[in-house]
Amino acid sequence: MEIDLEISDEDYVIQRAKDSFKSNPVAAKAWVLTAKTLYPNNFAVQFEAYQIEKDAGHIKEAAKCFSDLITSFQQSPDLWKEIEKVTAALRAESDSQDVEKQFLCEMFRHISSEVQHKLLLFTADHCEDTMEHCRLLLLLLQRFPTAISSNVLRLVDTLMSAEKHSIDGHFPVNPYRKLLVCDLLPLLANEPTKLELSSKMLHKLLQKAIEFYLCYLGLNTSTIQDSDTKIEDPWGKLFGVLEFIGKQLNWEPYLTNFTTNWSKESYWQKIITFCQSKSKGYPLEDKQLLFCLSVFFVHCLFEYNASLIPESSPGQTPTTYMMVEAFSDSNLPSLIAETKSKKRKSDADVFTTPSVTVEKPELKNIQSNFMICMNCWDLLNSSENLQREFIKLNAHLKLDLILSGFVIDYALYKNLYDEALMFLHKITDTTLLAQKYLRITGILYVKKNYSSCLEPILLALPLLPTNNVGSLSNNLIIGGNQKHLHYLPLTRMAILQYLVKVLLRCVRENMAKHSYSELSIGHTFVLSQLDWPQEEDFIPPLLEQIQQHRSFQYHNFQNYIINVDILEEITYLWTSQGGQIQLDILPHLGQRRIGTRGADKGVKEEIKQAIRRQIARSNERVDELLVNFILNERAQILQTLV
Amino acid sequence: MSGKSGASEISLKQSLRKIEYPSSAKDALNKIVDLICGRITSIKNMDLALDLMAEFVFLEIDRRGHKRGFPLTPLIELQLIELLYEYFNNMSNESARNTVFLSIFSGTTAIMRLGVLTKLVSVAIAIPSATILSSASAWMQQLGNTSQNSCKLAEGLIQDYFYFYNPNTSSINLVPSISPQFTANFLTAVTENYFNFTKRECIFPPKVLMESVTTWVSENPGLCIAAQQKQAVLPPGAIAMEATTPIAGLLRWTVLAPINKQDSQVYGDLHLALLNSIIEIPKVTPPKAIYAQHLTGPINPILSYVNDLRNKQELKLDQILNEDNLQLALDRYAQAIQVIYSVNAVYGHVDDLFHQLKLLPFNKLMSIVISTYKKNKVIIL
Repeated sequence: MEIDLEISDEDYVIQRAKDSFKSNPVAAKAWVLTAKTLYPNNFAVQFEAYQIEKDAGHIKEAAKCFSDLITSFQQSPDLWKEIEKVTAALRAESDSQDVEKQFLCEMFRHISSEVQHKLLLFTADHCEDTMEHCRLLLLLLQRFPTAISSNVLRLVDTLMSAEKHSIDGHFPVNPYRKLLVCDLLPLLANEPTKLELSSKMLHKLLQKAIEFYLCYLGLNTSTIQDSDTKIEDPWGKLFGVLEFIGKQLNWEPYLTNFTTNWSKESYWQKIITFCQSKSKGYPLEDKQLLFCLSVFFVHCLFEYNASLIPESSPGQTPTTYMMVEAFSDSNLPSLIAETKSKKRKSDADVFTTPSVTVEKPELKNIQSNFMICMNCWDLLNSSENLQREFIKLNAHLKLDLILSGFVIDYALYKNLYDEALMFLHKITDTTLLAQKYLRITGILYVKKNYSSCLEPILLALPLLPTNNVGSLSNNLIIGGNQKHLHYLPLTRMAILQYLVKVLLRCVRENMAKHSYSELSIGHTFVLSQLDWPQEEDFIPPLLEQIQQHRSFQYHNFQNYIINVDILEEITYLWTSQGGQIQLDILPHLGQRRIGTRGADKGVKEEIKQAIRRQIARSNERVDELLVNFILNERAQILQTLV
Repeated sequence: MSGKSGASEISLKQSLRKIEYPSSAKDALNKIVDLICGRITSIKNMDLALDLMAEFVFLEIDRRGHKRGFPLTPLIELQLIELLYEYFNNMSNESARNTVFLSIFSGTTAIMRLGVLTKLVSVAIAIPSATILSSASAWMQQLGNTSQNSCKLAEGLIQDYFYFYNPNTSSINLVPSISPQFTANFLTAVTENYFNFTKRECIFPPKVLMESVTTWVSENPGLCIAAQQKQAVLPPGAIAMEATTPIAGLLRWTVLAPINKQDSQVYGDLHLALLNSIIEIPKVTPPKAIYAQHLTGPINPILSYVNDLRNKQELKLDQILNEDNLQLALDRYAQAIQVIYSVNAVYGHVDDLFHQLKLLPFNKLMSIVISTYKKNKVIIL
């Protein structure tokens, strides 16, 4: 054994420890222990002792050394580097590849919790990057629930002000908010004890969480999948936050229980129960109804909006459904009215409650979703206080976009047509223009503003979807007298069908203003061809009118009438059995009288030919024919609407 | 008054003599408890109790007070141990139990009854009985855990558990968790039996004992000071004796092992375990864990080892200084002194200790430790 007398005492002791590590680790530990007690105030020795234990993989001993270092040498840069390594390792705990990281994590577990706490707190305080600081504090709270009460307010404040000053702080889905809402709040929720947070702070936290999740839900799904921002079950998580805040504020447990057998219907019943129990002496500053109802409403609204665009089978264009003012016919059997009248016969409501229909049974959930949204909306607007608070909340939540469709539907349902038009005129989104004009058309028709109807129809026609042809709807007309609202599939055929139906009715209903409008009759023939034989009933009274006037002039005949049944009826009028009505349907023949006598034999032949030609066209596409008709003959159509 | 009590004494003894052993012994024990744990104790009662023990429990004297010249038969001894075990094990009042235990196994008769005591404790380890072990611990402590009686008891137990049985599977390894106080006092006594150069013949602990002791100390850093942490409940008026910890004694083993051809790694392990235990000693003022004088134990054996090297093997001074075993012994010694000093666990004449350490052959670490001590002393002054 060589003893180098030049070497310092400190170095000698450390050197002996290092020398023996390979041959005799036990002896080395004894040397380290000795070195540590000899030079308790010498950082180099203490740090070296730590390094030796660390390099040797002695977890317990390294943890002991590290604890001593943290307690005595917080100012040393070398120690800070090591501390940073430890905290970095803690955050990447799942990374099992890195041996050093694993060791540091394991070592951290062997440090007394008091020192662990100190370490994380010091690191957080030492950290200049705010995000990093917050992450470290969060790590501290995750590991030391006892530290929550003393640090939570600080972390919340830091997160909120950091968010305010960050670049993307105006956007609720930002990293600070995510840390607050997705990491901190669930952590606090797991705390069995009550936190010492003011109710104002709790309201603010809840509002931040709602804002975050709603904004997240409104995000484009493609941007979410790209990054690590994806959140599983955001509604479940938001309900979790509501439950946590509710517990802290002593809200009614049933209002914040979203777990066992939860359904929208049962929750709505609970809200009703709550309102009934709290009607008198309910303190205004208690916001449980506001928050619970608002979150629930927005949840229902999301489901409603989602149900309007059901998932399509792969490869198919998804079809959107939209509520439109549809038609009813008292001549048809009314199933809905019958079942309703059985329930409450004398009630006047039977007639004022609109019938809401859907295209097929599997879309029934649209109706129920709408009804529950409407109930919520009515309740939110039932008291001035609630209304005012919701408007305040909405100012933060920016719900306007997801509300925009619903408020129109609601207005339609409640016959608030002017309000609906006001909302509709605000729409500027080009993807929504077809819907906008479609709805305006319907409302103007209901308001019997026939002459104005044509304009939105003309605007809508060029916007008909080209990639989703669809088919004619069977449910636009129901039996009975009541108001009828229908969720129309926004396909080319269904939209066109709706527009044509409205126009047809405008023409027909406006006809009363004129004594005998051959133009109106002709248009009606043309327009009724699309939804044939649904619209067949319009024809016989018109034929009767023609018979009475004994002549019928309609120069668009050759261009637009190709329906065999209609052609047959007109031809019949022209025959001797039908009354030999004069048909002025070929413009080039001018005012020449068309009779059955020999002199007009040539004319007669021409008409025959013309009708034959039209019959031959009966297989042409009626939708294109009608689009052309409306676009090309707008002036003539308008004549019949004024 | 005295005549009356004298008469009752005789009638008591006579009635006990009519009963067969071991029932008579059991009745006698009940009477003994009444006599020495009663509210009024007197010399007279104590004498009667001692008489009853000698005549009815241990059968040491006959009815006339004459000593019996022969030992107990194995059957009687077995009955007696069973009786004592049941008796003490079921005695929940710790003060009364320790009072009876101490008076039965102390005093002039202590050596005579040591054989029975050893067997009783051995049984208490095997079954085990924490109750009896705690009384045995109090007994060792009150008699002095390095006293001859304690050492004899320890020796007997080691015979039972480390020579006759395989200690790896035996219940002796559970004793540290069953009664840490007993284990600490037992260890202190054991240290006296080995590496003891004051004895005529110096013997070394068997390997199995070393392994068990090392495991116990490694796994439980507080074990060495356990007897100081919890004081036994003693008879009223008794003066509690401070327990000596096994630390100094065990360090004597690990320090002296290299120069006594005890080069098993287990000594290194025990040495580290001891250092770790020392580091964990809670700070108390004044310190009480280690007595300075006890730490001087290795000095003379080391000096005589150096003498042997010089005289018998005729080595030169620098050869002696560089002798690996000697330096290892001194390294360990210096390490222990340093760690003990750093946690302020030593009491007594510390200056004297360091003065004596200076007499040892040169060792770099020891010189560092000594100079550090001096420096710190200056600072304190």
